[in-house]
Amino acid sequence: MFDLFLEGLTSVMTFKTILFILLGVIMGLVFGSIPGLTATMAIAITLPMTFGMSQMDGMAILMGLYIGGVSGGLIPAILLKLPGTPSSIATTFDGYPMAKNGEAGKAFGYAIVFSFLGGLLSIFILMLVAPPLATIALKFGPYEYFAITIFALTMISSLAGSSLVKGVLAGLMGIGLAMVGSAPIDAFPRFTFGYSGLDAGFNLLPVLIGLFAVAEIIKASERKIKKEKSIEYKMKGFGFSLVDFFKQGWNGLRSSIIGVAIGILPGIGGGTANIIAYVTAKNQSKTPEKFGKGIPDGVVASESANNAAIGGALVPLIALGIPGDTVTALLLGGLVIHGLTPGPLLFQDNGDVVYGIFIALIIANVAMIAFLYFGMRFFTRILSIPKYILLPIILVLCVVGAIGVNNRMFDAGALLLFGILGYLMLKYKFPVAPVILGFILGPLVETNLRRGLMYSQGDFLPFLTEPIAAVFLGLAALSIIFKIRDNHKKKRKKLESLDNTNNGI
Amino acid sequence: MKLVLKPLVVLLAIMFLTAIIVGCSNEESSSESTGNTEETAEAEQTDEAEESAETVADEMNDSSEDAVDYPTEPITFVVPAGAGGDTDLNARTLGKYLEEELGQPVVISNVTGAGGTVGAREVLDAEADGHTALFFHNSMLLNKILGLVDFSYEDMKLAGIAVLDQGNTFMVSADSEFEDLQDMIEFASANPGEVSIATEVGGFTHLQLLALEKDQDIELNIVDVGGAADKIAALLGGHIDIVPTSLGLVTEYVESGDMRSLGIMAEDSVDLMPDVPTFKEQGVDSSFEKFFFLGFPEETPDEIVEAFSTALEKVVNNEEYVAEANKFLVSPTYMNPQEAFDYMQETEAYYTELSE
Repeated sequence: MFDLFLEGLTSVMTFKTILFILLGVIMGLVFGSIPGLTATMAIAITLPMTFGMSQMDGMAILMGLYIGGVSGGLIPAILLKLPGTPSSIATTFDGYPMAKNGEAGKAFGYAIVFSFLGGLLSIFILMLVAPPLATIALKFGPYEYFAITIFALTMISSLAGSSLVKGVLAGLMGIGLAMVGSAPIDAFPRFTFGYSGLDAGFNLLPVLIGLFAVAEIIKASERKIKKEKSIEYKMKGFGFSLVDFFKQGWNGLRSSIIGVAIGILPGIGGGTANIIAYVTAKNQSKTPEKFGKGIPDGVVASESANNAAIGGALVPLIALGIPGDTVTALLLGGLVIHGLTPGPLLFQDNGDVVYGIFIALIIANVAMIAFLYFGMRFFTRILSIPKYILLPIILVLCVVGAIGVNNRMFDAGALLLFGILGYLMLKYKFPVAPVILGFILGPLVETNLRRGLMYSQGDFLPFLTEPIAAVFLGLAALSIIFKIRDNHKKKRKKLESLDNTNNGI
Repeated sequence: MKLVLKPLVVLLAIMFLTAIIVGCSNEESSSESTGNTEETAEAEQTDEAEESAETVADEMNDSSEDAVDYPTEPITFVVPAGAGGDTDLNARTLGKYLEEELGQPVVISNVTGAGGTVGAREVLDAEADGHTALFFHNSMLLNKILGLVDFSYEDMKLAGIAVLDQGNTFMVSADSEFEDLQDMIEFASANPGEVSIATEVGGFTHLQLLALEKDQDIELNIVDVGGAADKIAALLGGHIDIVPTSLGLVTEYVESGDMRSLGIMAEDSVDLMPDVPTFKEQGVDSSFEKFFFLGFPEETPDEIVEAFSTALEKVVNNEEYVAEANKFLVSPTYMNPQEAFDYMQETEAYYTELSE
């Protein structure tokens, strides 16, 4: 292994290859930081350009893009409450409130450092234990996927904010929206009203960017134009002390492990990892009420999880040739075009390239933290641009991104429609994150339920008797029961305190 | 005053956005429709022009080189399958060489969903200027036969067939008790519905299974597990007994000793895979061939299709390309638009008979 490591090292340590990695990271950061443009898109655009490059150069630039693309999302998430990519949804929850409290520098510091650490940890896991982990992931069939996604859906209750009912409604709305279009498995068109534009259903990106970014932009247009006092951000190092760092240690580690685990399971991916890590951090925290109001723990959880999902997603790709999400599917295409066949023999036959990829990932990760650290000072200046100039530009970029997904004008219309929907939800105090979670997980639940029933020939019992599935369904049930109990307690307390104040008068 | 103003402004903002949406979609449809009429008009004109040109050309002893200005921008191959599968792989390999031949980049756009119908429809609705092509296979026929969609290859302008894959195989995991096809058939006839076999409902492999069930009068438990990569995962994970797939996609796993082939559904033994017995040799009368074709929207001008098809022929005869494609055990085979049409018509008749 050490020989291969050295061989990989020498193949990457050329001026040209390192330049490609840096170029990839910068381009990835740009794509990631613009709402609507994602790592997937950056890789899809760059992939054909790598055909003419050597194996190592091609892979180097793609890995740089992957790391940069996932990390770039934290910039608009913290500064503007606009998630740059699906991977940074949860970063907005606490990152933006921190920036609003004048702690943008600190939020950046936490986000950057823990993105780096989460990414690094996942790369080491990928290097050291990819094959056994991939074998475990293979044990997950439809029963297990169904149970896990049901469990993940119960997380909605923790994202609900003030009203559980509104949160659940929002989640159901997400599931409903995902049902538009061709049904999984038999491709029967549902809720299309005979309009063939709806056959493919809605894309995640227009839904996400519409509900989050466009809605925020509409909301901002409510306010009268006025000179906003530019806040002076203090920037000193990463903005937190060593003690602060160690306080986040366990949170960061747990979130990274969640990120890796979700990343490994083909099909679920980084878009959900950050939300689930955030919810877990909130539920485990001693001060859950501070979440959403600008607590570093939230930023740490989200950012370590989304970068950790990178290494996770690469595990089944490198070890077995099975892509876990759209980005790894594109990378698979890239590997094959470069004459590498991902699969069980990749380590054996092309060990040098595999280790080259690992080293490229590490270098990209280092480049990412360096670029973001030195860029921090400049990013915060974005806020000194007046909103009435900045937001229209972002809106245009959102539309460009939405069209870019599938080159369809339909997606631009959908984007604006979801923008209005998101705005109405904001006005009536509905939480938006559950819609996204429902939208991503709903189809997974349905597909795996139907596949499972095909396996068992119509029998529901295996969903409960398969051990892994049973555990997760049990967890889901517990999670619901606890939430209901919590809610009751809260209500009673409220009533009691109301009684007390009444008595007092 | 202020209280009234605020909601008013917001209302105006929303109305404005709605106007944009409606405006956009109207513009789109109107521009599209005008675009279409223009194009059809153009197409008719060019048809006429071409006829006259042909007669002239005939007189001039066929010396005219196609003067059509194509391609003028990157060409998109819509692949109605996920990245990493065989359709994607074949499209990307072919695209790489076509790029050199046509002088414009070939962009692969994976549009998945609904058994490939979403991607196919996208091409049918695309601008008919020869810059959006469908790269698809047998499932195009099946989607129509099974009633998923009401369109098929007849509603497109075929540019030809580029690749044939004769390695359609049944894979079992290395520790499976089935040594050959007969083992499996015997077990299945003794235990109806016990052997689980993977497919994508309404896909090419689904038809293979129906054909086998019919031919051998057995009952299998046909399970949907998803696309090519998902099938490999399902077999490696031990969730399923048999996975029908393309041999070229799983050579790695055969070499590593994780999987074994039960045979291929080719008419005769195939040069690229000499060690694999055919189904026919094992007493099962079922032969399938996967073909990959390229098609354009119906209104695409003939000379553009022709220019593309000529380039395609050159690529398919390019030894470098053939060698690269052979690595995935597929055979580049060129059929011109008419041959492709006849071939697909014949195949369609066979499939219709099977699925009845």
